[in-house]
Order: sequence, then structure tokens, then C-alpha cells
Amino acid sequence: MATTTAAVTLTSDLLSDNMSVSASTTCMKAGTTADGLDQMEYAYVNLVTGDEYDLIAATPTASKASKLYLKNHSIDETYFVAITQGTQAIGKLYAGDWMFIPADFHDAAGEIAITANGGTNKICYALFHEGITLNASA
Amino acid sequence: MATTATISISSDIAPGFGGITESMTLTQAGNITDIDSTSGFQIRKLTTTGAVDLITMANELVEPKDSVAAKIFIRNIGYQGTIDKSVGVTIGVNAEPIGLLYGGDWMMMPLTCVDADDITVNPATDDTVVIEYVMFYEEA
Repeated sequence: MATTTAAVTLTSDLLSDNMSVSASTTCMKAGTTADGLDQMEYAYVNLVTGDEYDLIAATPTASKASKLYLKNHSIDETYFVAITQGTQAIGKLYAGDWMFIPADFHDAAGEIAITANGGTNKICYALFHEGITLNASA
Repeated sequence: MATTATISISSDIAPGFGGITESMTLTQAGNITDIDSTSGFQIRKLTTTGAVDLITMANELVEPKDSVAAKIFIRNIGYQGTIDKSVGVTIGVNAEPIGLLYGGDWMMMPLTCVDADDITVNPATDDTVVIEYVMFYEEA
């Protein structure tokens, strides 16, 4: 079985006592406890300001257990990418920010799209999944 | 100390993949000032299917600033020590399903904090499951 683990440590001093949370999970295929995600896509792209792009070129199998990691490696703190799923705005990742989400890809509206702002943003992403529909060669 | 988050991903799917380890300090939008507000660390027990708000943006005691650098951490911690990795809870934003958090899974996601963009949770079954979460945001 392929094994992918994702761990996080989160700390904050915004509360009256310091908060520290650690979590780790093994990324399994949907609905199973014995079979891990077995395919992945890992890329680093420069994204110019203005246009919206689908982050994932091929279409991952819908409603599975895909996990998406994305980090904005830009240096300038005013740069950010806006993340949307279909027409729904999710949020913004400023320079240095990362996210890690389960990605449903339930239909065409479930695609993850990003738009760069401020300048050319440097984006690294990794998609862990259990199958995609490849685009036919032209 | 501020608010920091570090992710480590390891995988043997692709030969040569060296893993990912990245940290971030949660800052306000467009500058390097630390983010200043939080929902606090909370849990929510779910016992039936059906989407409910985990966070209703309009009801936050401290109004979050819209469309800046907010983040949310959410984790499915199962129930009473039992974590079922085969059953999940759909996390949504303004009724748009983002994905399923299976037992033990966690996520970190940016947020708009716009009033309509409530965070919803919808268990796949009627089995009791507990979600823990904390939101970080800028005060409006």
C-alpha cells in the first residue's frame, strides 16, 4: 500500500495560555481503512497577475478522498492568490501561506482555480489522489 | 511567538519525492503584522446527517474582516477515541462542498469571512463524530 502522511503543528499565543495542536493523518482512499492514496501530481508554477487558472490540469475522480496542498512561495507580503472553487470564493493565500484541504472535485464547479494578485506569484502544489481522467491528445 | 503552522507531508507514491515541510506565520493581509483574532479552540459534536454551520460568520462575537488573510484549522477526531477512517464529514463553504474529512483527517484552509460564506459540516452517517476547529482572522 502506498503511504502518504500529512502532519501539522499549530501554535498560537492569542489565547490566555499558549495553544499547541499537533495532528497527523494517513491519507486513505475514499471509504477504506486499508488502501492509501496511490497517485500524485507535484508542481511549481509562476502565475502572472490577472487571469484565473484551473490549478489542476486533468480531472481527478470526483467525490473521492483527494488531498490538495498549495503554498504561495512569493516573497513580497503584498502578493496573494485568490482561491476559488467553481464560483465560490474560498480565500486568499498571501506570500508564505499554505493550505491543505480535502478536494472533492464533485463536478465542473468543483475545480480549484487560482488568480494571482500584486505580481507574479510562485506557487507550489501537490495533489494526492486515487485516479484522474486524462485529457485526450489533440 | 505569534501564530504559526507547520506542515510535513511524506509519501512513497512517487519515487524520488522528498516530502514537504513548510511553516507559515499567520499574518494580516498584505503586511507582516501578526494576525490578531481567533475563534478559540472549539469542538462540535455531530450526531445526524444534514449540513449545519460550524461557523456562522455573521454571528461571530468579534466581527471578522472580509476577504483578507483568515485561516481555519478543522480536524475530524472521531468519537470517544474511535476514529473511523472510512467515514467522513463534508466540509463546505456557503453550501459549496469542499471535500470530505475522514476520521483523523485535518485541513487548513483560507477563508473569506464574508457573511454568506459560512463554514458547514455534514456527516455521511448518523454515527456520532466530533469536529475540532479554530479560526484565525483579522478584526473588522
